[in-house]
Amino acid sequence: MTTTLDPPGGTGGVRPAGRLSGRRAGRLSGRSRAGLLFVAPMLVLFIVFRFVPVAGAVLLSLTDYRLSGQWSFIAVENYTRLLSDKMFHESLAVTLTYTVIFVPLTVLLSLGTALLLHQVVWRRGFFRGVFFLPYVTSIVLAAVIWKWIYDAESGLLNGILGVLSLGPVDFLGRAELVLPSIAVTSAWKGFGYSMLILLAGLQSIPRSYLEAAMIDGADSWQRFRYVTLPQLRPVLFFVLVIETIQAFQVFDAMYVMTGGGPVRSSYSLVYMLYDSGFKYFDFGYASAIGLVLFAIVLVVSLVQRRLVGRDD
Amino acid sequence: MKTSVSRILAPLTAFAVAATLAACGDSSESSSTGSVTVWMYPVIADEQANTAYWAQVEKDFEAANSGTDLKVEQQPWANRDQKLAAAFSGGKGPDVLLLGPDQIPQYVKNGSLAPVDKVVEPVKSSFLPGALTALTTDGKLYAAPIYHTITTTLYNKKLLDKAGITTPPQTWDEIKAAAPKLKAAGVATLDYSASPEATLNLNFYPLLWQAGGSVFSADGKKAAFNEPAGVEALTFLTSLYSEGAIPKSGLTNGNVIADQALGKQQVAMGFTNTPADAKTVTTTWGAGNVVVGMPLEGKKRVGFGLPGGLAVNAASKNIEAAEKFLTFMIEPKQVVALGTASGFLSPRTDAKVPAKDAQAEKFADALQYAFPGEPNPAARQVMSLLAAEIQAALTGKKTPQQALDDGAKAADDLLSRQR
Repeated sequence: MTTTLDPPGGTGGVRPAGRLSGRRAGRLSGRSRAGLLFVAPMLVLFIVFRFVPVAGAVLLSLTDYRLSGQWSFIAVENYTRLLSDKMFHESLAVTLTYTVIFVPLTVLLSLGTALLLHQVVWRRGFFRGVFFLPYVTSIVLAAVIWKWIYDAESGLLNGILGVLSLGPVDFLGRAELVLPSIAVTSAWKGFGYSMLILLAGLQSIPRSYLEAAMIDGADSWQRFRYVTLPQLRPVLFFVLVIETIQAFQVFDAMYVMTGGGPVRSSYSLVYMLYDSGFKYFDFGYASAIGLVLFAIVLVVSLVQRRLVGRDD
Repeated sequence: MKTSVSRILAPLTAFAVAATLAACGDSSESSSTGSVTVWMYPVIADEQANTAYWAQVEKDFEAANSGTDLKVEQQPWANRDQKLAAAFSGGKGPDVLLLGPDQIPQYVKNGSLAPVDKVVEPVKSSFLPGALTALTTDGKLYAAPIYHTITTTLYNKKLLDKAGITTPPQTWDEIKAAAPKLKAAGVATLDYSASPEATLNLNFYPLLWQAGGSVFSADGKKAAFNEPAGVEALTFLTSLYSEGAIPKSGLTNGNVIADQALGKQQVAMGFTNTPADAKTVTTTWGAGNVVVGMPLEGKKRVGFGLPGGLAVNAASKNIEAAEKFLTFMIEPKQVVALGTASGFLSPRTDAKVPAKDAQAEKFADALQYAFPGEPNPAARQVMSLLAAEIQAALTGKKTPQQALDDGAKAADDLLSRQR
């Protein structure tokens, strides 16, 4: 959507170009041209390093591409193979299950922490930094640490359970526990980013709205449900989309913590893509997996937009 | 939304950049430049010693071959196939590279390697026959052996003593007999790495070979691991696992001794350990507690061990100089020097690496039982398929026969699709 800024001394708002006359809308003002010039380098980089490779992946997915550079056009054979590939179905199921666990967990954790921090006045910056710290930690490092925490024989968690005369629990060795365990690790690692965005969203809600609700007799839950949450919806939608995409792309933690096991219970789509491309050198097939993943994430994001991120 | 789009595209981009940009590589005709690039890996565990050793090789080779500029580039072991894949797919990569037998068939299939028969031919009779066979594909030798590895059993004497076991178990039957005693002493018996990322060459396959079985049929077109020998090997494993004789952490362990129960002194023995493993535990257990034995014996005694060989990139611009380097590196003097520095063994029968200590002597003795595995272009994929089934058997989801049959079915399907 093209927009144009009001001249100095105007209302200061942003007015859709559609409200201008056709002749004026078709011409670029000097400021717009300057803006375009500033954006151009990034745009060129984005096209060269994002869209061109994606176009390359589309082409690759229609070929049987060999390590030596030889290739043959096989049309949609990679896609039909995917449909009948049991491993693809399994890894898709793993990815969807992981997403269902990870997204609510991370969003709730981020929202809860953001609400707490919003209330805190004393050393808020310090606590914000503490909660954000895992985000800047390497996922590999985090996964190694959590692998030790979950260890069936000498892990921290089983140590605690042992004191309580419970366990031991093989968190990473049991199919029903492995995805929640990895989701907790990823949520711990990544919630700081969403927390900051939600905190910024909370801080931008005018206090007068909450004060008006208080005067009307709303209790804290009602203020949260009917004032905070609706005001936070655009930010929440952004966080939801980002975390969903993150969940669909899960790989590193699974690679380090379980190697995709036990019995492929943590073998995600991106893991399969990695193995197909870089372990088995089946580049065409790997590209097809990547594009199917792209399509799934796109559809899920659009559905989320319809459900949560309505433009009102 | 722009951020969202860019995040959606990220994995696709990462993959496509690696695959498509690599494909835009230079594939121009080779010309003799007198320069040879070698991709070498940390064959000498000590990083500084490794760097110094290869710097000296550069000097010695250049002194003996004036006009040839040798560059030995150090690469990490991790993700080496991924890096090679990206390099080869762009028609690039080093002139010479270090490869193991299981890597060679897939690169030969893709036309990435040049045969090196003429380099080894004059001294062929001086090499262990198994070393040359392991590096041969479709009747041609694709790498010149410069060292040989062996894996064997490693025991923690302190833990065996704790269970009152005076003679370390050397056969499957002795392991089964030792397991209850070790359990009573609060110790697991056998270390095992069942992570799907751990190569089966260092966990299930040696047991399969010890049981007299094989991974593939003789023509390499069918899986053979679900035959009775395979079932026997997997039953041996699952019974130990269910008794607690194999630690539960084995399901997620890779083959890194310091991270494994063996390294942490929670288990009494390993069965596919290297000289480097022995060195590592010597510092943590104390030299007196480290016992190196012969490879395990089931129906026969087999230890996984393979030659490391130097291969030549078919797209090299200077194949002649690359072959000169191979000739230089397989000379007895170089083989012994590398073996002495790295702790690896000699692939030559006429050049022995002097054993530094009793541990090294034991590993040298074990070399006679070395089996280099079964090279197959689909070996890695088959490992992935089978690793998941082994986990299914260990966790009791399938019987050993069911697990191996399911693995074989998937492997046969994969092998039938090999173009």
